Amino acid sequence: MLEIVIQGRGGQGAQTAGNLLAAAFFGEGAHVQSFASYGGARRGTPVSSFIRADVAPVRLRCDIERADAILCFDATLLEGRLLAAADERTVIVVNSGRGVADFARTLPGYRVVPIDAIGISLRCGLGRIVNSALLGALARAVGSPALGSLERTIAERSPKLTQENLAACEEGFRAADAVLGEGVAA
Amino acid sequence: MDAIAKSARGATQLLTGNEAVAWGARLARPQVCPVYPITPQTPVLETLTAFQAEGTFDAEIITPESEHSVMSACIPASLAGTRVFTATASQGLLLMHELLHYASGARAPIVMANVNRTVASPWAFWPDQTDSLAQRDTGWVQLYVESAQEALDSVIQAFRVAEQALLPVMVSLDAFYVSHAMEPVDVPAQADVDAFLPPFAPERRLDTAQPSSWGNVVSQDMYYRHRQAIEEAMARVPALLAQADGDWQRRFGRGWGVVERYRCDGAQAVVVTMGSMCGTARVAVDDMREAGLPVGLVKVRLFRPLPVAALRAACAGVRDVVVLDRNHSPGAGGVLHQELRAALYGTTNAPRIHGLLAGVGGVNVPPRKIAEFVREARDSEPRPESVWVR
Repeated sequence: MLEIVIQGRGGQGAQTAGNLLAAAFFGEGAHVQSFASYGGARRGTPVSSFIRADVAPVRLRCDIERADAILCFDATLLEGRLLAAADERTVIVVNSGRGVADFARTLPGYRVVPIDAIGISLRCGLGRIVNSALLGALARAVGSPALGSLERTIAERSPKLTQENLAACEEGFRAADAVLGEGVAA
Repeated sequence: MDAIAKSARGATQLLTGNEAVAWGARLARPQVCPVYPITPQTPVLETLTAFQAEGTFDAEIITPESEHSVMSACIPASLAGTRVFTATASQGLLLMHELLHYASGARAPIVMANVNRTVASPWAFWPDQTDSLAQRDTGWVQLYVESAQEALDSVIQAFRVAEQALLPVMVSLDAFYVSHAMEPVDVPAQADVDAFLPPFAPERRLDTAQPSSWGNVVSQDMYYRHRQAIEEAMARVPALLAQADGDWQRRFGRGWGVVERYRCDGAQAVVVTMGSMCGTARVAVDDMREAGLPVGLVKVRLFRPLPVAALRAACAGVRDVVVLDRNHSPGAGGVLHQELRAALYGTTNAPRIHGLLAGVGGVNVPPRKIAEFVREARDSEPRPESVWVR
């Protein structure tokens, strides 16, 4: 079973990203479960989204205590409670303009893949909406879902700016590929 | 990854528990739906209104000013012979309390989905079954479900049982882990559901062409006999649910049971719980079995009427019964714990019953915790009161 935690702030699209990711895995034939914190969440407050994907039906109805991957929309959220779900195997994709070496110094022992998703989104004409770029990066860092599955899901579910979102997804995928090529601390 | 088996006639969709409830309601073809929105039930109402807007749901959706008025609208609509569906949660259910008694007394077969959420004060949105368990004396049949699929199937089964027993049925799903969890759900074809659930056609109904007065002032004797009739109807429910679920299984290839025994063969200890925690407990049971511990799960799907015979059979020969309560009745502890103690009292070789207040207020209960609870229970003496664990 693959367990992924997405952490963002209300309004950034963490919940949408979780549902898109689940839909992409589902499109590949996986059994999935996706749920997000709600109710008390307000624009700007931390929002978590949880995704499980497996070959068998998902039966667990509890929080993800150790994630295979974390997708963090805001580097200021990369601390205490979120890092408690990470160990040395967890791949952490974070929306940040800082470099790999910088994170290796501030968060030693974690596999951090920084992606300048705001830069990508601005170049693609999406303003500061970063979820397509980050999902592309996550797909590369985790090794699934396949980029094609993710792009089909984004194309089906984008309410507008479909081409721009697809471009951001691909650029995010390539950016993660470049970072992983540099060698991320294990 | 393996492809998900597609239903021969239905279609698999990614739905949340709330959306699955709305699909169940749509497929049951209710004619009247009074609903008041409340977190975390609101997406049920949103989905029903979206169905109506696209022309696939033609029930009369009424949105009164409170849940008290919602139930006040449900009762006469049901007594007039229409099929009635509603949904609520937490404070909304509590506000309905007076009318919940009225609905069962009036023998109105309303089906209501309730999303189990903490009750105030303090304010919170987490899964906790205190809201519906506090309604256990109101004369409503109560089902607790574990997944979005079970929620959809149970709403439809509930109408069949309700209309046969002439009792209202509440289908409860946990907030968050079920209501807001998106997962693959097989949505049956309308024609197949129609074949399972015939239109509601009560023998007697409120009818302006044949005016009559129902629920009028009665003598002590009439009231006494009326309560006896309700009890007799309740006593029929376990068999009616088993029949409905068996028929569902034959038609759709999946059933949920009344009380489900999961890997209970040769079990020395069983975990007993309701709702979403059953899913996590299955994983814990598998882990413990793999480690050589003979442990099973008893899932209480039907809580009212309490299926005493089925629970006694499920717990017979077991040394330790570990009850996990995601609810809190101050001064009594866990509701399921107390109910199970009463159900198993006086049986020969009655098992040792351990009541654990686990997951109250939505506190996370992972499989490793459940395994820990079982090990601790096995090595300790049971206590009459429920124990706080986390």
